[in-house]
Amino acid sequence: MKFVTALLGTVLVGAALMAAASPLEIKLPPETAAFKPSPLPGYALAQQKCSICHSADYINYQPPGLSLAQWTGEASKMQHAYGAPISDEEVKIIGTYLATTYGSAKVDAAAVVASSGIASQPVPAAMPPSNAMALLQGNGCLACHAIDHKVVGPAYRDVAAKYAHDPQAQGKVEASIRNGGSGRWGAVPMPPFSQLSAQDIHTLAGFILHQ
Amino acid sequence: MSQASDDKLPGRRRFLRDAVALALTASPLASLAANAEETAEEVTYAAGPRPLVAYPQKRPLLVVSTRPPHLETPFEVFNEGAITPNDAFFVRYHLANFPTRIDPETYRLNVKGLVETPLSLSLAELKSLAQPVEVVAVNQCSGNSRGFSMPRVFGAQLGNGSMGCARWLGVPLKAVLAKAGIKAAAKQVSFRGLDKPVLPTTPEFIKALDIDHAMNGEPMIAWSMNGTDLPFLNGYPIRLVVPGYFGTYWVKHLSEIEVLDHTFDGFFMAKGYRVPDNDCQCVAPGTVAAKTKPISKLAVRSFITNVKHGDVLPLQRMVALKGIAFDDGSGITKVEVSSDGGQSWQTATLGQDLGRYAFRPWRLDIKLASKGTTQLMVRASNRVGETQPLHADWNPGGYRRHAVETYHVIVA
Repeated sequence: MKFVTALLGTVLVGAALMAAASPLEIKLPPETAAFKPSPLPGYALAQQKCSICHSADYINYQPPGLSLAQWTGEASKMQHAYGAPISDEEVKIIGTYLATTYGSAKVDAAAVVASSGIASQPVPAAMPPSNAMALLQGNGCLACHAIDHKVVGPAYRDVAAKYAHDPQAQGKVEASIRNGGSGRWGAVPMPPFSQLSAQDIHTLAGFILHQ
Repeated sequence: MSQASDDKLPGRRRFLRDAVALALTASPLASLAANAEETAEEVTYAAGPRPLVAYPQKRPLLVVSTRPPHLETPFEVFNEGAITPNDAFFVRYHLANFPTRIDPETYRLNVKGLVETPLSLSLAELKSLAQPVEVVAVNQCSGNSRGFSMPRVFGAQLGNGSMGCARWLGVPLKAVLAKAGIKAAAKQVSFRGLDKPVLPTTPEFIKALDIDHAMNGEPMIAWSMNGTDLPFLNGYPIRLVVPGYFGTYWVKHLSEIEVLDHTFDGFFMAKGYRVPDNDCQCVAPGTVAAKTKPISKLAVRSFITNVKHGDVLPLQRMVALKGIAFDDGSGITKVEVSSDGGQSWQTATLGQDLGRYAFRPWRLDIKLASKGTTQLMVRASNRVGETQPLHADWNPGGYRRHAVETYHVIVA
């Protein structure tokens, strides 16, 4: 930080004192973002309650694929931390709508919960076990892969989808990690990770297939 | 016409990508180009992509949320120079209830609390209260790059555009506090602006600094940014500037300063904007921290600004890389680039030094020796020996990302 020369300071201050500054007024652009339509009761409720404090795009631009537990937790945070005027029951209804429409929750389960009015059972978070995540980070897997989008290699979600109905999926993915390979997802080869223990490879393959 | 079409940016990128792919179709590199099409640089969204929209006094910026306004700088802007233009500077409000008309003639900055003389300063009084000072400093959002957190976390899914470097002119906060006269029991100073919650049940956006920090001469109350009035959405007519600290402390439309005899316990200090209280400010991915502390200083970061994921670079010819580096003001001493995925590093030439809190430009000519896909990586180090980790660490808020940036490119 430096002092502006005395002269410059005087000029600036002088200008500030002399200029009869007029008010500055802005006009914000129109709000065009909309909540994703859904037959679930949380759709109307979200439009009604969430929109009090923020536009729909704040929700639209959250990460894809988050779980019912995560979305319900976020709705609960809005209630408790930010004072959103929603009841415990409404937290569940909004969470169900958001998780079904924007996240990984299945429509059927959500519809049952919504129509029955029964409090949803706590669903285990889709959060990966931390040891699988530590393996992914510690071995550089995430330099080429991401869970929900293709980087250099395929998204783990796409791998899981490809093997969804294959009874030998676990063994095939373990072999791919151990031996590497190329051609299945493109020409860039995946290097072998044969230095990993059988247990670690098992953990990683299990994690990937559950995305 | 203020709003660009929703798919303008991705459409353009897709076009360029397709052009590259087409050019390479006849070559063995075609499949490599196809593989680079989805880039790690792009954050994914539940219902994206984000549009570019022009707000008042701003060129089209990436919308994080329309209300409250939250806008990111398109990354190409950082290749224009070490100073981020006012009309491209990112915008971040937490609360949607703020005035859209401010009269500088009637504006007041109030100073109260544990002071000898409470003040209600007009802008003219503030500007003549002390000799103006200026600093070139980076304002970076705590959550800049949050969208790259893995596993993903809630919050604004920011790319790398929630940062900027500007020349700020104002008076030292110290001078204002000294004029009011700080009482001996002062422990912290809190700051609030004109932005308010929509509902009375929502916490006010109030931030606090320790009294020693507030009085050390570095924080300032600025009215000018890059030689002109602050843009409205960057805090007109005055904002707090806290060099070396994350943007959360740079309170906009600063209207009230209160000197406290205790540690401020409002939501945005005691609950929000907190990081794990350990050396790395991180925890195992997906876990929570046993103990947290308020986020504070910027970590060392660096970027290549003229290369992006999927770019095709020439084989065996000089490529002039350029970029920026910054830290908390300790001072960038070295920027290194790797073109072999981190095996070996070449030292870049540092450019003009606009001050220790500023973006430090750098450049480096490299020659890429082998065909195919490779990774360019950039890493900066500072005067106190801090550098960037190769792999990103993780914290529940997705704050303070500072890992080495990696750019997947194709050499052809």
